Amino acid sequence: MSDYLWDRRGPADPEIARLERVLGRLRTEPPMPDWNRVAPPASVRHFSPAYLAAAAALVIACGASLWLARGTAAPSWAVVRVTGQPVVGEEQVVEAGRLPVGAWLQTDPASRASVAIADIGRLDVDPGTRLQLLGTREGNHRVALQRGTVHALIWAPPGEFVVETEASTAIDLGCAYTLTVAPGGNGMIEVSMGWVGFEHGGREAFIPAGARCATRPGVGPGTPYYADIGEPMRQAIDQLDFAALDPAARRRALGAILADARPKDAMTLWHLLARVPAEDRDPVFDHLARLAPPPASVTREGIRAGNRAMRDAWWDTLGLGTSRWWRIWERSWR
Amino acid sequence: MTDVLEPAIAVPFDAISEPADAVPAPPAAEVRLVTAAREGDRSAFADLYRRYVRMVHGVLLARLPRAEVDDLVQDVFLTAMHRIGSLREAAAFPGWLASIARNRAIDFLRRRRVETTELVDEPAAPGGDTSEALAILAEVAALPEAYRETLVLRLVEGLSGAEIAAQTGLTPASVRVNLHRGMKMLRARLEKETPR
Repeated sequence: MSDYLWDRRGPADPEIARLERVLGRLRTEPPMPDWNRVAPPASVRHFSPAYLAAAAALVIACGASLWLARGTAAPSWAVVRVTGQPVVGEEQVVEAGRLPVGAWLQTDPASRASVAIADIGRLDVDPGTRLQLLGTREGNHRVALQRGTVHALIWAPPGEFVVETEASTAIDLGCAYTLTVAPGGNGMIEVSMGWVGFEHGGREAFIPAGARCATRPGVGPGTPYYADIGEPMRQAIDQLDFAALDPAARRRALGAILADARPKDAMTLWHLLARVPAEDRDPVFDHLARLAPPPASVTREGIRAGNRAMRDAWWDTLGLGTSRWWRIWERSWR
Repeated sequence: MTDVLEPAIAVPFDAISEPADAVPAPPAAEVRLVTAAREGDRSAFADLYRRYVRMVHGVLLARLPRAEVDDLVQDVFLTAMHRIGSLREAAAFPGWLASIARNRAIDFLRRRRVETTELVDEPAAPGGDTSEALAILAEVAALPEAYRETLVLRLVEGLSGAEIAAQTGLTPASVRVNLHRGMKMLRARLEKETPR
């Protein structure tokens, strides 16, 4: 079957041909740099004054503490005090300091700090937080968040920054998020830009901007949902993810989620395909198919059997980008 | 994602010659180029630039004001050159590069919002050569992200559906769905803008 929109073969669709002709005027090919002469510096062209000030403070802190720590080779990150008296190990951070691999950074209820994540991003640390730098090298930077709240902003390609908590591992898939761990180990992530992957023991969640995901020790990540869902749906998700429900109660919770799901909540329903037992997948399949029809390669039987390739193919039609690239990066947390 | 996901439409899946859920593997020659670029071969990287510059341009144009795109294309390739050593799987290069471009666009918008609190797109110059194109692009920009990107790659950059799949890491079936759903939504928007 010919399909002009696909490859221009077959009879031309006049409207598509007109759009090609008009929109083709916007096509440009930027002149190619001489790659032999280009060193790849970090661009600062679009940084805000506030960002530049923070970056300058971190650079100064980096230089000063490198001078103080000359002779020691342990990799470390620059830390800047924002308010109060953050502590690295046993030492107070007066204005700036270093967080070496293996050391803990702690803020009391009156302290805040800002940490340079190597040259790939920034971690703002709220009061009452305790975290440890586990490792830092090109392409792989890891911290453990024991309790408290951090705000991560990453400008590297996906997959380079990982936060481990008792309940889950969070891997940055681009840009900005806030991660909180309560004293008991329960966690919550909220993504403001880009994507974050959340994983524990093979249970995974892919959380886009505007969405949240809870996590519990011993269980792992729950089902992500957009922050603007109604309270009944949020409670039903929480029950389904973390409560010990008998089959009838589980189906009631699932019914409440499906009843309130809006088209954009296809993201949540997609995750449920892998969360609910096989016998509960049909209603999720039907509801998701109404919100976002599956591609022809996806069958009810395959979804019921837990076929991951089919789930991924369906994801690719949700308007949320491709599953393929986060499947590549998820190896970082393995 | 927005609230505008479409109900079922007729999509000609029977035209797909490859398995519907298979992501096309890059040709062996291209994998060799990526491998060489990873080892520091700048002429190999230049070849990759030539092969992928339209894809990167389209991914950025689907998200950003046109005036910013050319500079950011360079930024994306500079980032890729700087990071390509950390790419463990050469065959993953297309999707990896596309994700750098998407992240760069998001990062640009975030910083611009911080600086100006308001995102103002360039006005379409009345009577200019590109005024009609920019007006249509504004309608494309109102579509969900995946549809927007796929349509820009097809209608602006002139890539075929198969090329879009190969260069972004999407499956051909997903590209086909995005093209058809996106086109249907775009037609509806353009008809609304041009009452008969």
